[in-house]
Amino acid sequence: MIKVENLTKKFGNNEVLSNISTEIKKGEVVSIIGPSGSGKSTFLRCMNLLEKPTNGKIYINDKDLTDPKTNIMQVREQIGMVFQHFHLFPHLSVLDNLTYAPMKVKKMSKAAAQEKALDLLEKVGLSDKADAYPNSLSGGQKQRVAIARALAMEPELMLFDEPTSALDPEMVKEVLDVMKDLAHSGMTMAVVTHEMGFAREVADRVLFLDHGVLVEDGEPNSFFDAPKTERAATFLEKIL
Amino acid sequence: MNLDFTQIVPYIPFMLEGIWVTLRFVFFAILFGFIIGTVLALFKIGSIRPLRWFADAYTSIFRGTPLILQLMIIYFAVPQLSGYDISPFLSAILAFGLNSSAYVSEIIRAGIQAVDKGQTEAALALGVPYRQMMTDIILPQAMKNILPALMNEFITLTKESALVSTIGYLDLMRRAQVVGADLYRNFEPLLFVGVLYWSMVMGLTLIGRFVERRLRVSD
Ligand SMILES: Nc1ncnc2c1ncn2[C@@H]1O[C@H](COP(=O)(O)OP(=O)(O)OP(=O)(O)O)[C@@H](O)[C@H]1O
Ligand SMILES: [Mg+2]
Repeated sequence: MIKVENLTKKFGNNEVLSNISTEIKKGEVVSIIGPSGSGKSTFLRCMNLLEKPTNGKIYINDKDLTDPKTNIMQVREQIGMVFQHFHLFPHLSVLDNLTYAPMKVKKMSKAAAQEKALDLLEKVGLSDKADAYPNSLSGGQKQRVAIARALAMEPELMLFDEPTSALDPEMVKEVLDVMKDLAHSGMTMAVVTHEMGFAREVADRVLFLDHGVLVEDGEPNSFFDAPKTERAATFLEKIL
Repeated sequence: MNLDFTQIVPYIPFMLEGIWVTLRFVFFAILFGFIIGTVLALFKIGSIRPLRWFADAYTSIFRGTPLILQLMIIYFAVPQLSGYDISPFLSAILAFGLNSSAYVSEIIRAGIQAVDKGQTEAALALGVPYRQMMTDIILPQAMKNILPALMNEFITLTKESALVSTIGYLDLMRRAQVVGADLYRNFEPLLFVGVLYWSMVMGLTLIGRFVERRLRVSD
């Protein structure tokens, strides 16, 4: 599905990602964890070219994203992204948030887009909020709408950047539940998270980043129970 | 203290007509300034370096020199250079429009840049092209920041418009001076047009408040 080869990203002279190679298979759920500033967000943002890689290649279904001839917009249509701070469009109703991109970008008809949107709102448990504006929603509700908005484009891959970090504790579960359902439905997902429970239970693999280096890439249980590297062990000790 | 407002009565229609004369050029100056200002703002937020540089230099010059100087240059210096005898009306629109566009471009630029960067990222991540993102997502939100400041700029321009009396354009201000010279009494006509200016500004203020209230409804 997505293949990363020797990805390096620099901001000026600051090398934020060093020579990362990995692969995410179709239907796989990958958790990306690591200390603050280790480059998790940057790594995720390279995958839909919100950041331009300095070096290396990223393939999505064998299409090279870093090739200047690749239509970035077309690639982004296939990749959904969920942000820590939701970034819903505040001047649009919940329903319009969900139908805007399908109508404008995919040229879907209004009726079809609305049907799809209502269907998704039901899936995330917010059918009654279709006409509400984002500002009237709780954090957990906003994030569920944001997930539905990304899904409305029918992406093949979903990127999550700390989707529960900005939420009050009592709202974390409702969002994680939606993400679990999504994982079980076979969606390919890359999730930057501090929720170790989610990483252990739901993820098929864990990537551990430290100072821009992909230090560990493996199966969750062995990573959490017996990390192979000193750095991962130290990190896990601090957070668990 | 001797005030006698009865003497200006015959001149009232003449002075009232000044409202129309002033408003007419103010209207065109605002329109002209708004269009140029919008273009300059797009230059400023765009990624084309020479255009950005041009817009910044333009703004710096028009904000960094007196408006009355700009007006004089256009009215007196343009004919000297080009041989084209420019009318006071056209000079006034040009000077006020060009000057206002510098301020308007800053207002629009700031308004757009005040919109959370996350909005751009969310739109880009959904595959929304730049132009549609601007018109559908960014500008509607920027309007909330832009409109009140823009209203202020229009009010300032309306008041400053009195400067055109210096190039002989027969606006409200100039009419007060003409009447004053005729009567050998200045206080009454000046006070009279003062009230007229104030009414015009109040009108604009009320329109501004109304628009702001309409915008706030969508929150
Ligand atoms: N646009 C940018 N310009 C310059 N430096 C940046 C930029 N974005 C990120 N960085 C730097 O890159 C490094 C990695 O940042 P990144 O946000 O990817 O880390 P992170 O692992 O997501 O951290 P956190 O857990 O705090 O979100 C940091 O040192 C950060 O300061
Ligand atoms: Mg981050």
